Amino acid sequence: MRVQDLLHEAGHDITANRSRSLLTILGIVIGVGAVVLMTGIGNSMRGVILGQISNLGPKAVAIWPGKQGPEGGAPGMNAGADSLKIRDVEALQKLETITDVAPMVFLSGTASYGKEEANPRIIGTTPAGYTSRNMEIAQGRFHDETDEGGTRPVAVIGPDVVKDLFANNDPIGKRIEVGTNRYLVIGVFKPMGSQFFQNMDDLIIVPFSTAKSLLARDYVDMVSAQATGDTDDAISDIEHTLRRRHNITPPVTGKVTDNDDFLVRSAGQLQEIMGTVTLALTLFISLIAAVSLVVGGIGIMNIMLVSVTERTREIGLRKALGARERDIMMQFLIDAVSLTFLGGLVGLFCGLWLNLLIAVIVQKYLADFAFILSPTGIVLSLLMAGATGLIFGIVPARRAAALNPIDALRYE
Amino acid sequence: MPPTPLIEIRQLNKSYFNDGLETPVLHDVNLTIQDGEFVAIMGPSGSGKSTLMHILGFLDRLTTGQYLFRGEPTESMDPDTLARIRATGVSFVFQAFNLLPRTSVLDNVLLPLYYHPTIPVKERLQRARRAIEDVDLMDRIDFQSHQLSGGQKQRVAIARALVTEPGVIFADEPTGNLDSRSGIQVMAALQKLHAEGHTIILVTHERITAEHAERIIAIHDGRVTGDERNFRRRLAKEELSLK
Repeated sequence: MRVQDLLHEAGHDITANRSRSLLTILGIVIGVGAVVLMTGIGNSMRGVILGQISNLGPKAVAIWPGKQGPEGGAPGMNAGADSLKIRDVEALQKLETITDVAPMVFLSGTASYGKEEANPRIIGTTPAGYTSRNMEIAQGRFHDETDEGGTRPVAVIGPDVVKDLFANNDPIGKRIEVGTNRYLVIGVFKPMGSQFFQNMDDLIIVPFSTAKSLLARDYVDMVSAQATGDTDDAISDIEHTLRRRHNITPPVTGKVTDNDDFLVRSAGQLQEIMGTVTLALTLFISLIAAVSLVVGGIGIMNIMLVSVTERTREIGLRKALGARERDIMMQFLIDAVSLTFLGGLVGLFCGLWLNLLIAVIVQKYLADFAFILSPTGIVLSLLMAGATGLIFGIVPARRAAALNPIDALRYE
Repeated sequence: MPPTPLIEIRQLNKSYFNDGLETPVLHDVNLTIQDGEFVAIMGPSGSGKSTLMHILGFLDRLTTGQYLFRGEPTESMDPDTLARIRATGVSFVFQAFNLLPRTSVLDNVLLPLYYHPTIPVKERLQRARRAIEDVDLMDRIDFQSHQLSGGQKQRVAIARALVTEPGVIFADEPTGNLDSRSGIQVMAALQKLHAEGHTIILVTHERITAEHAERIIAIHDGRVTGDERNFRRRLAKEELSLK
């Protein structure tokens, strides 16, 4: 029997028992749908996280103050730690393995313009901060060394702040209030998304000297820099320098230990860590979804076994008409594979549709969350569905093929 | 030299085994059938006539003895070779029709062609239509099998049997489930096929049905008890015109 004939027969079998076919493939539909949906969301999440980190460039390096847990702890969770001194920053600025070393201090307070209020993050940093974070100006200018030298009350703001305080009107030359202080807006930077888990668009940047004079303290909340060459060299250089200055015994393994009162991470490292975490998560969820494929496969096997019993006389007839064992086996296998493939197709569309729906909803809250159509995922899920049919169809198909023609014909 | 017989069996024995218990069905059967014959194997139920037909038609295998099909010993044939003979050399008409349910007349008749190793795909439809025409069912060609009467079903089965032009058609009680008129119609169809050169081997328990054949082999308790020319041959076509 030719493959076309077998497919034709399979189509006939499937449509002849429409409601049974539908119920049979439901498990596969759910299984494939779940795999498609979960890997889709996993990919989108990975895109969000990796995108955040990658717009920094892989050579971006950040240093946070404070003691970390044995596992390194989460970056930036030690707000208020005072272990990273301004003198440390000055020492780091002398290193040749890093450039654009920018100290950052976080200011608090609600920003307002007229009646409008907003709660952006307020950061005091030097002009090197712009280059170390790959920021670009959209309007006006960044603050420069003259502004730093003069401790001027100027501010460069992000697009979200323009939207919140100025309703997207031109903010240049306007004065915004933060607490009791007033700042002249001199520039707006281009949208950046998120970096190191901060929304960069909802940000007000003021000169470091201005912020320092307000806070009157000798430590910073974060240091940002770019490696000039290899990031690993830069990191070990920074660690070496800070340990020496803080009288910390270097750990034997060269890794971060309890002793360090700071944490250095490159964007590349974060990308790697987050990539691994989300990949593991995606795999885990897909595994759970794959279980439902197995359950669906057992359903297929069950119904195919019933079908073999039900069609015993037909199998006998086909053998009497000259069907070989191979023909009967192929017929039942193709039946099973067609069923699961069909289920896979339906599941694929359901999964993609749900994925799209979720992406549209999540995009309202997380702009970087993109619907990613992965061709390998689609092909893989269909192959998996087909393989389920093949694996769980083989037992019933072999049973059908092995029937003795006269016994099958006489079967009551 | 006489022509090679179509079927030649020597000292055929057949037993069924159930839980190690042997039930003999056929004893020392010797039989020769030539191409072009119309043979009736007649006997009461339980006589072993159906078992004999199943062995002759390669649906079942003998226990001991020899079966030569067109001179070829068949005992050592592998399943694929047997399937090939079933596809090309023999075909069946069953008492219970055995049509595929929820399937049209045309598709039922097309079915054996799928398994035929040499008939080209493009000839299938034409052959199926010709076979359906031969049994006068062109007006029912698109009917589903359950929409047909018993007699029509059996004629579809006959069309299915002759579509591969097999040489031998085995008919196992083909009139058993039919009223007398439909039964005679089926016999008329078989006699027509015989006249066209097909070998027909008919199994029946009724003398009246057997009398449509040229030769009647009687079988009792698994032994051949008679093998004679039938000189009072019934002609189904005439019987139909009388009714």
